[in-house]
Amino acid sequence: MQEKLDELNKKANWLRLEVLKTAKKTGGKGSHLGGTFSCIELLVALYYGNILKFDPSNPKWVDRYRFLIGKGHVHLALFHIWVDLGFIDNSLLDSYGKNGSLLGQQLNNKIPGSEYNTGSLGHVIGVGSGMALAAKLDKKNYYTISLVGDAECDEGSIWESVMFAGRNQLNNLITIVDRNWMSVMDILKEDDSTGRLDEKFEACGWKSITINGHSFEDILSCFSDLEGLNKPLVIIADTIKGKGVSFMENDVSWHSGIPSNEEFDLAIRKLEEKN
Amino acid sequence: MMNKTTIDFRNAFFDAFYDIASVNNDLIFLTADTDADSLVKFRKNYPNQFVNTGVTEQNAVSVAAGLALSGKNIFIYSMVPFITMRCYEQIKIDMCSMNLPITLIGLGAGLSYSYYGPAGHGVIDIAIMRALPEITILNPSDPISASAFAGMAYNNFSPTYVRLHKGSTPKIYKDNESFSDGFKIHKKGSDCCIISTGIMVHRALEVAEELKLQGVDVGVIDLYQIKPVNEEFLLENLVNYKKIVTLEENTFIGGLGSLICEILIDNHCHIPTKRIAIKDEQCFLYGDLNWLHKNYKLDTISIIDEILRF
Repeated sequence: MQEKLDELNKKANWLRLEVLKTAKKTGGKGSHLGGTFSCIELLVALYYGNILKFDPSNPKWVDRYRFLIGKGHVHLALFHIWVDLGFIDNSLLDSYGKNGSLLGQQLNNKIPGSEYNTGSLGHVIGVGSGMALAAKLDKKNYYTISLVGDAECDEGSIWESVMFAGRNQLNNLITIVDRNWMSVMDILKEDDSTGRLDEKFEACGWKSITINGHSFEDILSCFSDLEGLNKPLVIIADTIKGKGVSFMENDVSWHSGIPSNEEFDLAIRKLEEKN
Repeated sequence: MMNKTTIDFRNAFFDAFYDIASVNNDLIFLTADTDADSLVKFRKNYPNQFVNTGVTEQNAVSVAAGLALSGKNIFIYSMVPFITMRCYEQIKIDMCSMNLPITLIGLGAGLSYSYYGPAGHGVIDIAIMRALPEITILNPSDPISASAFAGMAYNNFSPTYVRLHKGSTPKIYKDNESFSDGFKIHKKGSDCCIISTGIMVHRALEVAEELKLQGVDVGVIDLYQIKPVNEEFLLENLVNYKKIVTLEENTFIGGLGSLICEILIDNHCHIPTKRIAIKDEQCFLYGDLNWLHKNYKLDTISIIDEILRF
């Protein structure tokens, strides 16, 4: 187990480095380091921790787990994962930030690995509910997992869908909230709306688990007994915006900020030290 | 008119839907808590294909997208304003941008929810819905076209919007009518052509009959497919008219009149054109549909007067 955790931690560090380098190289073309770094462990656990079932050579494999992203601005992390796993070619990622590229700052469902056209917040629990419903109708065993931000949970459409999924007991639907306690402009720390997300989901018929979103042990444990679920599951993952680079952590200016040359060198050093 | 018996548009559409859905279990029906008499039997006999999403139009469109991405063909039903404007972004992103086989069925085209006020009126939906690149918009004018459009929508396999009049009209089409041209020339004329859509086609036909008695030869076209418009063929049938009149139960902004003017201008076809539509205002007057039409000068006498002065 420890070996597996070490491996995942190494992968997370690798991913932060790659995202940082691409962000610096293409600066200002859409990278969002703060909210990407907050969910790196979540993404790595899903793709490398035997949670998601997928086949890079057949991205639309009917039995794959559906993974929907609400906060599409984490695109750079996904592009690097998809290259690493063989969903897309490195040459495609190289085009990112260039004129005419098929990769932009949001995900497009035509790109292998992607399920949905992101960019507008608050849709994926509903889209995921449709997929979960289809799995039940077709007697399929796949799970549908969506990742949303905590500030995204202010969208009214989220709650329409949370109520729908709860009422229909979609126990094959999982939502992960990357609760980094920040929106674009504000800190959400003292905010009941964000602080009591667990109660809000539970009141709508969901099971909730609150975890440390940077602990692989915590994340993996959420997926150990899915078969026992009788309702949809929300994993509220407490995270730190900008996690991994100390000067970016918990600072709203890194929502979409690009590091200067000095900041970049320092950030690289800090991440490389962890290798 | 071929037959004066009136049939409710909802019953015509949903009876056809029942026949399709009962033999195609990939067709899933979502309602945002909007009912229809003819749906009761479907819900009872095919519970797996029927979901009441509750009063959640945004969620309903997103759920439809998830189902469609999993190989299903979806019909979603609510009132015109709620299934279009209330969830417009979900329609744009979840349904249209991924070009999914989802049909929106809006009840209450035009002023047919006549006692409801502006929240229930469907007089600006064409303007916003036709801005969506991927969508097909079907606007039946009688029970036969309403019934046929259930099948056309199912077989379209791409985003479709069908707007239904709330109420009944007589048939103006024959039972086996083909709707593949996008419009129907009901009557050819030599002086002026009225292009209309939805239930206003009935009024256009009345106007044409009356004007004939006064020696004015008026043609009538039902543009039942609002998007995409069969432009080339439509223009072929318009070029010889001296005047064109558009007649609709929408506001002047962005509806049938606008789209006909766009087509004429874009094709350098400079035939004098008159638009008859609803004033650019939200209607807070209540009454029956005929009264509201009269209030907006959409009644036969007012239209004849407009055309004679044009």
